Amino acid sequence: MSKEYVLKEVEFWDGAMASSQALRQAEVDIMAAYPITPSTPIIQNYADYLSNGYVDGEYIRTESEHAAMSACVAASAAGARVTTATSSQGFALMIEVLYQASGMRLPVVLNVANRALAAPLNVNGDHSDLYLGRDAGWINLCTFNQQEVYDMTLMSFKIGEHKNVRLPVMVHQDGFICSHTAQNVAPLQDDVARKFVGDFEAVDSLLDFARPVTYGAQTEEDWHFEHKAKQHKAIMDSINVIEDTFEEFEKLTGRKYNAVESYMMEDAEIAIVALGTTIESSIEAARQLREEGIKVGIVAPRVFRPFPYDKIADALKNVKAIGILDRSSPGGALGMLFNEVTAAIYTNDTKPVINNYIYGLGGRDTTIADLKQIAKEIQANADAGKLTTPVQQFSGLRGPKLSFFDMESSK
Amino acid sequence: MANVGWDEVNDAALLNPFENSMQDLVNTAQSDRDYSLFSSFSASTASWRVVKPIYNSDVCIHCQNCWVYCPDSAILSEEKKMQGIDYDHCKGCGICADVCPTNPKSLIMYEEATVEDSALASWPEKKKKEKKA
Amino acid sequence: MSKIIKNLKQFSTANERLEGAHLLCPGCAHSIIVRELVNCTDHNLVIANATGCMEVCTAVYPYTAWDTSWIHIGFENAATSAGAIAETYKVLERKGRLNKNAENTKVLAIGGDGATYDIGFQFLSGAVERGHDFTYVCLDNEVYANTGGQRSSSTPVGASTTTTPAGSQSIGNKTTKKDMIGIMAAHGAPYVAQVAPNKWKDMIMKFQKALEINGPTFVNAMSACTTEWRFPSHQTITVSDLATDSLAFPLYEIENGVYTINYRPKNIVPIKDYLAIQGRFKHLFKPGNEHIIEEWQKRVDKKWVQLQKMEEMTNS
Repeated sequence: MSKEYVLKEVEFWDGAMASSQALRQAEVDIMAAYPITPSTPIIQNYADYLSNGYVDGEYIRTESEHAAMSACVAASAAGARVTTATSSQGFALMIEVLYQASGMRLPVVLNVANRALAAPLNVNGDHSDLYLGRDAGWINLCTFNQQEVYDMTLMSFKIGEHKNVRLPVMVHQDGFICSHTAQNVAPLQDDVARKFVGDFEAVDSLLDFARPVTYGAQTEEDWHFEHKAKQHKAIMDSINVIEDTFEEFEKLTGRKYNAVESYMMEDAEIAIVALGTTIESSIEAARQLREEGIKVGIVAPRVFRPFPYDKIADALKNVKAIGILDRSSPGGALGMLFNEVTAAIYTNDTKPVINNYIYGLGGRDTTIADLKQIAKEIQANADAGKLTTPVQQFSGLRGPKLSFFDMESSK
Repeated sequence: MANVGWDEVNDAALLNPFENSMQDLVNTAQSDRDYSLFSSFSASTASWRVVKPIYNSDVCIHCQNCWVYCPDSAILSEEKKMQGIDYDHCKGCGICADVCPTNPKSLIMYEEATVEDSALASWPEKKKKEKKA
Repeated sequence: MSKIIKNLKQFSTANERLEGAHLLCPGCAHSIIVRELVNCTDHNLVIANATGCMEVCTAVYPYTAWDTSWIHIGFENAATSAGAIAETYKVLERKGRLNKNAENTKVLAIGGDGATYDIGFQFLSGAVERGHDFTYVCLDNEVYANTGGQRSSSTPVGASTTTTPAGSQSIGNKTTKKDMIGIMAAHGAPYVAQVAPNKWKDMIMKFQKALEINGPTFVNAMSACTTEWRFPSHQTITVSDLATDSLAFPLYEIENGVYTINYRPKNIVPIKDYLAIQGRFKHLFKPGNEHIIEEWQKRVDKKWVQLQKMEEMTNS
């Protein structure tokens, strides 16, 4: 039995601490992890709880992230509640096994402190790793501050382990900007958190010899398609359990979460769509702009996978122009968030003017001033009823203006 | 096994070899097991065979060499006695005949189409040991 | 518990845990070895199987050949998986959540030489170093058989493989086989051994020992490959006999650093006899390649002397 860790009503936690406290309260059986900046404090904190009796589990100190995720998959199949944390290159190394976890329907929880991908090497926050894993079949929950990291990490177990879901879950937080900066976090006490998360119920366990099971069979052209379709249906349907869990959590804490978060959208003429800590900065920028008469709102997918296509469309149906911000090097395309959000709003009757910003790569600071400038350009598009800028622009970049697809001037 | 639709395939492509819960697997003989359609026990590789082993119980000494060296779990053995070949699972590799120590052999490989009775009727005689020169 | 198996008749009363109608080639040594492995013990077994022939041929939906818990994740991570399952067992037992029917469980990892010597080498090293309680069995057929016969770091010198084909400018594979047993022993694994399926009694004795000993244990099993070594399917045991009797695969074990040679052939067969029966070495018998066989014989002789010296030294 683990010792109770008495928490203050409001703690001053960085994102890593928020995440590891939630892992502790979820009474994770197995953590298998390999350190990588900036996710490292998450696993160090857990090791500390373990060393001092605040959690009863095993920490498998693997020799790589690939092994970490492999251990998570095997331990989960054997009937353990498991978790790991990683970033960037470590995430990239895990990729092969991410698909195994979801394909075998194992509710592994992965905290990702989002970080840029090399080359060139960079340890700071952007969403390259988040984007890299988007098709891996995991539920992806996004957070914009430390409180949300705590809340989503607690909920991730409840969601992933739900008998109708049985899928792995990633909880994303911005590397350094969230993981290493502290804000006020209101945690639950251990008993309340444990009761909310619930006991782990093993399904199809490798350690149930009354019903031996084969995990990881091969399916060729006569079976593979059906299995992947069934898996896709499971993640698409998981939105119901996610929303139910959000509701249950709201009843417990008063904190309300939605598949798609909207801020100041009630009367918004223009919208910014983004992910991560940029949301908090955008909210502040919007407050200031509203004093200047610019009615900007912010839309952010809380649930990134399953992608809330319909709810994104609904959230953006009344605006005249949208700027969609991607914090990942797009590698020869428009930003992924731009593409997905654009696809979602295509079915609306309204046809807002949309453009794409690539920003903040490798931890480049994105200031309130940057976001205000972006909002003003979006407003100009709204006013003109057409693009006044190229479709894709780089924001906060030194050197000559870098942009692509100047549709208006090429007409 | 019928190719069912996406809604009917096993979750996560998991396979359970037994229909019901299996209480004491290591002490339950194959004949007493409730194999599911997902066990390869329910499948057959008989069509792979070009040649097949024919078993002559008259010569057999039940040494179980064939049992231990069969790669396909296709030697039927009960209570330390060789019972014959499981032709659903035998692929006709010929190892059993190779490792059979009797003289003449108790297992000999024949063309797949060979009728067992005729093979047994014309089973080879005991070979005389060749004297070393 | 490990059962006492005195003779083959007694062994033959074991109830199968690897079913037929798997898709391994006729005459494959893998399933001979693995049948003996899973049938030589009364323990419950959880098996983590690396990608390779054994994996790909025993769990093709909708059929499994396994009558015990089995998982395949990837090519490289069988050791990690087995280690993690062993840790899970520990935690669940401590927390009172272990199924009653899971008492008396052993965790096994199975991989080919591709998975063991090459792509999963780091994973195996990590898992053994961490000291998880599991047994790793390498089915060593000295080639990537599953993908069509490419060389591995276990492929011996002179073998013609699809990535080291013998030709007018090449004798085939140019490197000598990696000493995996030595490497595993150097990790401080409490038990490391080499087995061959033709010596079934020695093999199951070692499997039982490996399973019983606490901590990470490693067994390298010589697995003659009818397809890639190019010999007729009925000769698997004949080829295996030549492998052990020529000392191409000496049978020995290292228990807590102490060497024991388990089989001393009465008549040591020349290495050329072992090579001559296999198509992969056919070109070595062409004029001009005599030195390859001669050097090989010297290596085998030297290794045999070394082994005997190690045995003497570690037992004194």
